[in-house]
Amino acid sequence: MSSPISAWSHASQERVQTILDSYPEPRSAIMPLLYIASLEHDRVSPEAMRQVAELTGVTPAQVASVASFYTMFKRDGVGEYLVSVCTSISCFLRGADDVLEVVEDATGARRGETSSDGTFTVEHVECIGSCGGAPAVQVNYELIEGVSTDNGRKLVAWLKDTKPQVVLADEMQQLFGGSRSFDWGGPEPEGAIAPVPAFGPYGSSGEGR
Amino acid sequence: MTDLILTARMTAHPADSHMIDRFVATGGYSALRKALTELTPEEVKDEVKASNMRGRGGAGFPTGVKWGFLAASEPRYLVVNGDESEPGTFNDRQLMERDPHQLVEGIAISSYALGIGHAFVYIRGEYPRSARRVQRAIEEAYAAGYLGDGILGTDFSLDVTVHLGGGAYICGEETALLNSLEGRRGEPRLKPPFPAVEGLYAKPTIVNNVESISNVPWIVNNSGTSYAAIGPERSAGTKMLSISGHINKPGNHEIIMGMTWRDMIYDLGGGIPDDRALKTWIPGGASAPWFVPEEHLDTILSIDDVAANGSMIGAGAVVVMDETTNVVAAAHRIVRFFAHESCGQCTPCREGTRWLEDVLKRILDGRGRPEDIDLLLDISDNISPGLSWPPAMTTICPLGPSAVSPVTSITRWFLPEIEAMIAGGGDSDG
Amino acid sequence: MADADQVTITINGIDHVVAAGQLLITAAENIGEIIPRFCHHDKLEPVAKCRMCLVEVEGPRGKALVPSCTMPVSNGMVVDTKSAVVTKAHEGVLEFLLINHPLDCPICDKGGECPLQDQAYAHGPGESRFVEEKRTYLKPLPVSDLVLLDRERCVLCDRCVRVADDIAGDPLLVFTERGNAVQIQTFPDEPFASYFSGNTVQLCPVGALTSVDYRFKARPWDLHHVTSVSLVDTVQSTVDVQTSRGKIVRVYGVENDAVNEGWLSDKDRFVFPAIHADTRVVQPLVRNGERFDKATWGEALEIVASRLGSCKGAEVAAIGGAHNTNEDAFALGKFMRSVIGSAHIDAQIGDGLDARLAAAVTSRARLGDLDAASTILVWGPDLKEVLPVLYLRVRKATRNGATLVVVSPVATGLDSVADHVVRYRAGTGSELLRKLGAGDGDLVGARSALREGPVVALVGRTSLAEDPNLAESIAAFALSLPEAKILPLLERGNVFGALDMGLAPGLLPGRVSVDSQEGVDAIEDAWGPLPDHEGLDAMSILADLVEGDMSALVMVGSDPVSDCPDPQLARAAIEAADFVVAIDAFITDSSVLADVILPAAVWGEVDGTVTNLEGRVQRIRPSLLPAGQSRALHGLLDDIASQMGADLGTSDLAMISKEIASVAPSYAGITIDYLTFAGDPDGVVVPIEDAQQPLVYTPVDRPVPVVTGEFTLHLAASLYDAGVWLSNAAALGDLARSAYVRLHPSDAARRAITPGETIVVSGSHQLPVALDDTVSRGTLVVPHNLEETKGFVATPTVTVDTVRGEE
Ligand SMILES: Cc1cc2nc3c(=O)[nH]c(=O)nc-3n(C[C@H](O)[C@H](O)[C@H](O)COP(=O)(O)O)c2cc1C
Ligand code: SF4
Ligand code: FES
Repeated sequence: MSSPISAWSHASQERVQTILDSYPEPRSAIMPLLYIASLEHDRVSPEAMRQVAELTGVTPAQVASVASFYTMFKRDGVGEYLVSVCTSISCFLRGADDVLEVVEDATGARRGETSSDGTFTVEHVECIGSCGGAPAVQVNYELIEGVSTDNGRKLVAWLKDTKPQVVLADEMQQLFGGSRSFDWGGPEPEGAIAPVPAFGPYGSSGEGR
Repeated sequence: MTDLILTARMTAHPADSHMIDRFVATGGYSALRKALTELTPEEVKDEVKASNMRGRGGAGFPTGVKWGFLAASEPRYLVVNGDESEPGTFNDRQLMERDPHQLVEGIAISSYALGIGHAFVYIRGEYPRSARRVQRAIEEAYAAGYLGDGILGTDFSLDVTVHLGGGAYICGEETALLNSLEGRRGEPRLKPPFPAVEGLYAKPTIVNNVESISNVPWIVNNSGTSYAAIGPERSAGTKMLSISGHINKPGNHEIIMGMTWRDMIYDLGGGIPDDRALKTWIPGGASAPWFVPEEHLDTILSIDDVAANGSMIGAGAVVVMDETTNVVAAAHRIVRFFAHESCGQCTPCREGTRWLEDVLKRILDGRGRPEDIDLLLDISDNISPGLSWPPAMTTICPLGPSAVSPVTSITRWFLPEIEAMIAGGGDSDG
Repeated sequence: MADADQVTITINGIDHVVAAGQLLITAAENIGEIIPRFCHHDKLEPVAKCRMCLVEVEGPRGKALVPSCTMPVSNGMVVDTKSAVVTKAHEGVLEFLLINHPLDCPICDKGGECPLQDQAYAHGPGESRFVEEKRTYLKPLPVSDLVLLDRERCVLCDRCVRVADDIAGDPLLVFTERGNAVQIQTFPDEPFASYFSGNTVQLCPVGALTSVDYRFKARPWDLHHVTSVSLVDTVQSTVDVQTSRGKIVRVYGVENDAVNEGWLSDKDRFVFPAIHADTRVVQPLVRNGERFDKATWGEALEIVASRLGSCKGAEVAAIGGAHNTNEDAFALGKFMRSVIGSAHIDAQIGDGLDARLAAAVTSRARLGDLDAASTILVWGPDLKEVLPVLYLRVRKATRNGATLVVVSPVATGLDSVADHVVRYRAGTGSELLRKLGAGDGDLVGARSALREGPVVALVGRTSLAEDPNLAESIAAFALSLPEAKILPLLERGNVFGALDMGLAPGLLPGRVSVDSQEGVDAIEDAWGPLPDHEGLDAMSILADLVEGDMSALVMVGSDPVSDCPDPQLARAAIEAADFVVAIDAFITDSSVLADVILPAAVWGEVDGTVTNLEGRVQRIRPSLLPAGQSRALHGLLDDIASQMGADLGTSDLAMISKEIASVAPSYAGITIDYLTFAGDPDGVVVPIEDAQQPLVYTPVDRPVPVVTGEFTLHLAASLYDAGVWLSNAAALGDLARSAYVRLHPSDAARRAITPGETIVVSGSHQLPVALDDTVSRGTLVVPHNLEETKGFVATPTVTVDTVRGEE
């Protein structure tokens, strides 16, 4: 019988096995596998959910039930760059609403929407744990803290112009960030190549971890 | 402050405190070695019990006591709660990014003490750097023999798995977290049974916060009693405070409790930008009832003193608001958060938090009615009868009642302002 | 305090002694204190989501609000269900539920029987304080062919999801989204295709889930309710039959904990429209060449009486009676034996078990024994397909900790909850049984599970192609297990009642063997002399008809051409017979070949008693008059007998009932009146106390040859077949799956057969192939009685040919 994921990249297929092996029960692998499936399908599509269901021995409905509970499993397609502006209390107090508006204007995408050329999806999100560096923005879950309206505009322009293959938090922080929640320490080579967070074991970082 | 427990290494070595070489060079994994080679699991547990450390995840339950509830049947699991998502909190993120080995060492020691062979670290999905660094630390620890089979030549073995959240604050609630880790919707479970009896995969499970576990190596190295000696009674040890909002020195501060809130805000926090006046602050994260200067500036910052004043330290998130703050808009932001994060199981939380959000929004939009204040309070009372703190609940978990805190806070301290807003047709900046 | 299994609790200031171990909500209900609830349901695990049932309970830190649906009673518990705090909480929750609920009660199916509506009237605030916009959804969402969902009416109580997932094991209906957007959904293109979907409609506390059949059909206050019994299968679930304006519009399950615990299969629930189908035969029909002419009862009965009367007794046979009441079955047996003078009578059609095993095996299990079993052995048909409510009961037993051993040539519905799944190649069951007995090789685990008693063994034929003797060997083995009890598995309606009434060649009414002189004497005292020839079973009857050794056949609600293992023999037999009368409600593949069809009253129209697979007798009640000129069997047989100059004495139901109670030993005392007035509402299990048990049948290990050949056959039954009832039952009619023949991938590879390819099975049936690694090697699984496999002969071995040219 052919594997449900024979069309996936070799790396993804290998990760699937590692992930299934790290849990006592296969059902636990649903969330990590959804991340991988969304890399393969550019979103958590019905097909992706079906594949995850088959890999974990549950029904597709059960996978959909889980996937739709969480905000990071994007069932609708998103742009190349997912720009998430925190508008929770601490960022709000520090002017996050203005940053969001600037980002909307610069990308041409309102919150919850994708720009017509498919480059940007803009969303406002609840607290992303960067309150000390408010207002905070993430691009493909890579963080920038202390973003002024001015720098918000520049960030979008930079993404548009340079179209980075991989977005790196450190690089963007240096270019467009302000004060941080804390000293981030040594630089971080990994970064996100798609609107999926670049996590260690599941990540989109390509080389190494 | 010289007595830093959690942040000493990252303060001294900002560039590489997260790397194993630096960790080992600064005394890392010595506590694990000590525990494994010199102490029995019982003795480790006794040290943690003697430390009087109270859980840092918010509920403040003494960790040693919780460990004592762990049922005997096998297998057992340790789950570290790194879901940190409450608005205002970002201290676990720093601990995971800047000193992940401290956490890994704490996990290994705790697992040894508790007879656990598989531990999980649940990290919120929006923390990729935390996840990467913890994952790398785990891999380094495996390679160096601090994790895996036969750790440090003993017969203690441990596997550690990092699990990533998917964007849901409620997964910080320990039973929702367990459901999430099992590949289910992050819905809190009914208690009892408690996780220590039936937790992950219905097996005995200890859930502890990142900061709680990160304290364990120090406790083993320095003894529980020396930890207990730090700070006021029943608020032992140090605490990471996350300070944000209208404050000159936002960020995380590792403190010894016992100072006044005045010291905290004006000394530690450096005061309010542009010397504006302090209007109100949240002493312990978005769930907590607010404090105001007239009443609380000289209240002592300790778990019990804050509780005695009708609020909580929680996970240690202080959000400061100055005189320019529109408190209705601020309350709306917080209520909106809880409505967005409600899992949706309980009728009062699912329907009530959203209704509160809608009414606040209406007031902000200039469509408020005088009776809306009573309505807000009555909806709140139907979610959390009596509107006291700690809250009485009509719900399964405290998320629903948490949404009530901003409403009771603004109606209690800033009623004229709300009335004026209703009368004056709202505030379009909200 | 009273004894150990009781506790004293104080509710609203009054002390009550209540049974320990129950939930507070139930304890309160039992003493008349109804606490409002939406998510709570006796038969489902508590979830405490709706928060409607909050009460105040005194604890160490004072009174606290707790959901009474999760709180077990404990001694000394002090509860307030009416305090100001509780009342406010109830009103608050109700208001929360109503703010987003549409006000469409006047057009909602649930209007008039809706707990939400009732409570809104009782406690709700008059005026709405909610001025915001209500949540709206596109409506309604078809979640399956049978069930529709109005999401905006849903109160998210989780009952349907729990039924689908926990009870039925079909997790196809789920919650999606979170918070205020939570809703019930199915996956795109994966409908809630469950055999139990209708239970969700019954359990939904509001009008969110409705059945396609019932939608807008009636209002609750117009409905006439009759408690009766489903005759779809031998579980005989207790049902509430609801009629409006002379038609059945809805069937609900009744919480008879001894039987179905409130659950029904969709076949139980949704088959009723067939009764009202315009394809029903409602007037006597008499053959006129190729077609039927309508006749009067007088004309038809005269033909039947004279044609049957002109035969010698031993030349007439009867097949059927398994869908009739006990009284009708009794009348049929008496008619054949005492009026016709024939012992050739069989309620089974070659598809069942040895009648003595089925009727009189001891120790026989009750359904309730499953709840207490330590180990359950299922070796028989796929329960999910043939006895779905029994399937639920076995699932429940496994949830409560029973160890389940399932033995079958292919995967069954129970495999997912089984502890040990044992497979064998179709036709080699006796070999496997020996290995299982010895605990050989990989059967060690299953064997040792079977050493833990009490054991309940569910024993039947896994398929029509399986030698019926195997079941006897299995039963003999099962009886050797610790504290073993057996439940024989037959499927058809009231077949156990029919066997108990003597509709089997070797049995007389009341589980009496024809070999018992005492039994024969007793019957002869009542009826006069019994035929002196040995009775033949259905397959032998059919063979004799073909041979010309028999000349007339009475088919009573039976369809041998569809249901027996050799449809071609059945067809030839009916065609060869000189005279065939079918007493039936439909033109079936068999009745279409008859000379006369007498229209029979059916379930919903008939009155009497029936007996289920554990031997439980329940009252079956009519909701309708028989359609058209249809008549109950006992009456029309009485008329035929009079035409033949005999007095059958079965014109009156009460008379038959009394006669059964007097001549059928194990039914002594079980009259309709007893069941109606004196008996347990759950029915009584025969033999009741004091009754004799004349036949004690202990199965023996029968020799069963091992079948060989390239492919052996597993003829697989499915719930939705091409039978006449389903095809006439509105929404159910379309649910029969299309036929695939299944085989193991390695067998396919050996023969170079690819999935989807059409093959010829046994030289006659062209069917597409599906590969299935749950099929044991060498076995070919052919679906039974689907449109494409009608007439398929259940030979032990089958041949496979490809249709493509040789490569
Ligand atoms: C709504 C809700 C959210 C919570 N979020 C977190 C969290 O993000 N991190 C955390 O450690 N504990 C959180 N908790 C507390 C946990 O349930 C649990 O008490 C804690 O993880 C136990 O660890 P500790 O004993 O070390 O504090 C939350 C509780 C609730 C009710
Ligand atoms: S209170 Fe809210 S978040 Fe908590 S379980 Fe209930 S619905 Fe879910
Ligand atoms: S009936 Fe108890 S919470 Fe729903």
